[in-house]
Amino acid sequence: MEVSVKLFGGLRAYLPPGSSFNGCRVSLEENASLSSLLQQLPIPSEKAYIVIINDEKVDAENYEGLQISASDDVVLLPPIKGG
Amino acid sequence: MSWQGQILRVNLSKGSCAIEPLNMEWAETYLGQRGLGSKYLLEEMDPAADALSEANKVIVATGPLTGTMASTGGRYSVITKGPLTGAIACSNSGGKFGAELKLAGYDMLIIEGKSDKPVYLHIEDDKAEICDASEVWGKTVWETEDILTKKYRDPLMRFASIGQAGENLCRYACVVNDKHRAAGRSGVGAVMGSKLIKTIAVRGTVGVRNANPKAFFDKVNEVNARMNDRDEMSRDGTLAMIDVTNRFGSLPTNNNRSVSFAGAEKLNPEAMHTPNANGHTNLVTNGACFGCTIGCGRICKIDPTHFSIKDKPQYHGASGGLEYETAYALGSACGVDDIDAATYAGFLCNEYGMDPISLGGTIAAAMELFDIGAIDEKTTGGIKLEFGSAEALCAIAELTGKGEGFGADIAMGSKRLCEKYGHPDLSMTVKGQEFAAYDGRSMQGMGLAYATSNRGACHLRADPYGHDFETTEVAGKAKIVRDSQQDVAFIDSSGLCLFPGGCGWGMDDYRELVASACNGEWTEERMQQTGERIWNLERLFNIRAGLGKKDDTLPKRILEEPADVGVGKGLVCKLDEMLPEYYQLCGWSDEGVPTKDTLTRLGLN
Repeated sequence: MEVSVKLFGGLRAYLPPGSSFNGCRVSLEENASLSSLLQQLPIPSEKAYIVIINDEKVDAENYEGLQISASDDVVLLPPIKGG
Repeated sequence: MSWQGQILRVNLSKGSCAIEPLNMEWAETYLGQRGLGSKYLLEEMDPAADALSEANKVIVATGPLTGTMASTGGRYSVITKGPLTGAIACSNSGGKFGAELKLAGYDMLIIEGKSDKPVYLHIEDDKAEICDASEVWGKTVWETEDILTKKYRDPLMRFASIGQAGENLCRYACVVNDKHRAAGRSGVGAVMGSKLIKTIAVRGTVGVRNANPKAFFDKVNEVNARMNDRDEMSRDGTLAMIDVTNRFGSLPTNNNRSVSFAGAEKLNPEAMHTPNANGHTNLVTNGACFGCTIGCGRICKIDPTHFSIKDKPQYHGASGGLEYETAYALGSACGVDDIDAATYAGFLCNEYGMDPISLGGTIAAAMELFDIGAIDEKTTGGIKLEFGSAEALCAIAELTGKGEGFGADIAMGSKRLCEKYGHPDLSMTVKGQEFAAYDGRSMQGMGLAYATSNRGACHLRADPYGHDFETTEVAGKAKIVRDSQQDVAFIDSSGLCLFPGGCGWGMDDYRELVASACNGEWTEERMQQTGERIWNLERLFNIRAGLGKKDDTLPKRILEEPADVGVGKGLVCKLDEMLPEYYQLCGWSDEGVPTKDTLTRLGLN
């Protein structure tokens, strides 16, 4: 299956070539976990981000157990500040 | 030593300018800029005095690192009693004016009294004069800079000016320097207007001395190198935040009726970078303040065919564009998703000298009053003030800048406006100052930071961002808010900007820059205590001005109406759980008054 992922702010720098302004599509096996999706993105492991799926924040301890479906709205946000 | 060791005292009643030595004991204790200016203000005026009376003073203060080669070392602050809030006002700006003032040989200006006719202040190093302002009174900020630059034939002269909003005593008039950087909040421009001083024109050539140049240069190079891979701030500016808060559910929308805006993607960095149907791109380039290696500023152009400027060629050029706060206030807060309309309203803020956050927050409140029928087209002079109307936003912003029609009501600020029309609960303010671009329900720490901010609702008086994006649980937030308020007070007193803190600097980096530039030992303990002392000094000013625990609160909507969507869906701000712990951590009584022990420990008694 293919899942749509949006990366905002500074995370946009890690979008693969050919991506749209904020988003890319990632190929995954059916019922893949959130961890396997995140591993396919070229984001350095030390980079912090917040994962929001279908408007709900996912805590890091749940990345492994959470199954992704093709219709999920997956968003990665940088923890930035200021304004 | 980095301090210049002198201040310029300008008495507008007497028409005098006098150079005085800086109180170095106070400089060592309050560092500079925000801290030192607040100390002078509290020593020299009665905090209970009316903000727009002759008794108020305007202190324009630099920090020890202003005008040095430290990245972002161009900051200055305007410290006074705020006419919007009745609290201490300290508005911070970048651009190039602050460094120019420091390079002219001054740590600060103290402007007191009141002129009997419009004047401006002209400074060239040790020469300072009060000049007749007939040629610029009644002009915009932009016209004022152009007229006086031409008069003095010096393109390097810098200005900090008020526009017509300041002259008309708009409660949130700001002081604009370099045409589109501003000491924006709390109405500091109205205080200048009340004293009939239009602008401060300054040219400086004397330089800044440094206590330990080798250590300073080494530290500057080290911290600059660490920022080199953080190009997102120059690429997207602070506007990058709009996607974060919109998706997280903390982007105030329609006067905080919602915390997410369907039109956010028409205001975000992608919208700013991408050509529209006419092939016009809003963003021209980024801009940097004095000495800054980040360059977060947006330089933008409005589509010349856009309704707002179609027959107004004066707005066809590039100027300061939308940053996150302006995109919120002139966008989502009003439900407006038209990037050119919001940019135009932002241009008007720079031109007429208005704080865009308070302008947008007040228009949003007026839109809600219109929506519930508390005001109508008769009140607004025929403007259909509906949420989402770009035309109404532009029309009202123009009227407010000029102080005409219903714009005179908008110029009062949201609190006074909502009280006038019988719905005080619809004002999204703390201590009379409009919210910044974060909702205190999904970001609980920000709710506490707004409620306890010494200058009214503000996103730059504490740093709860990281913890707030991590969890909506309130445990631990009181300490984070209290500790970061002290950190921010130290940074705001140094001459540096807060933004390197989001680009790889830690508090130790700020401390080491100060330590290498200034005399004496600047330990971690001294840094923390300096920040705490400044925070408590501001609190004392406010207590003497009549503020207290009753003012450390939030609007009913944030305390009682749950957030509608996002990570904080269903939550209200649990201020009552956080505030007692916060007071305790501060060393304050249950009523929010610093205890004798706290004041003694900080040397404030």
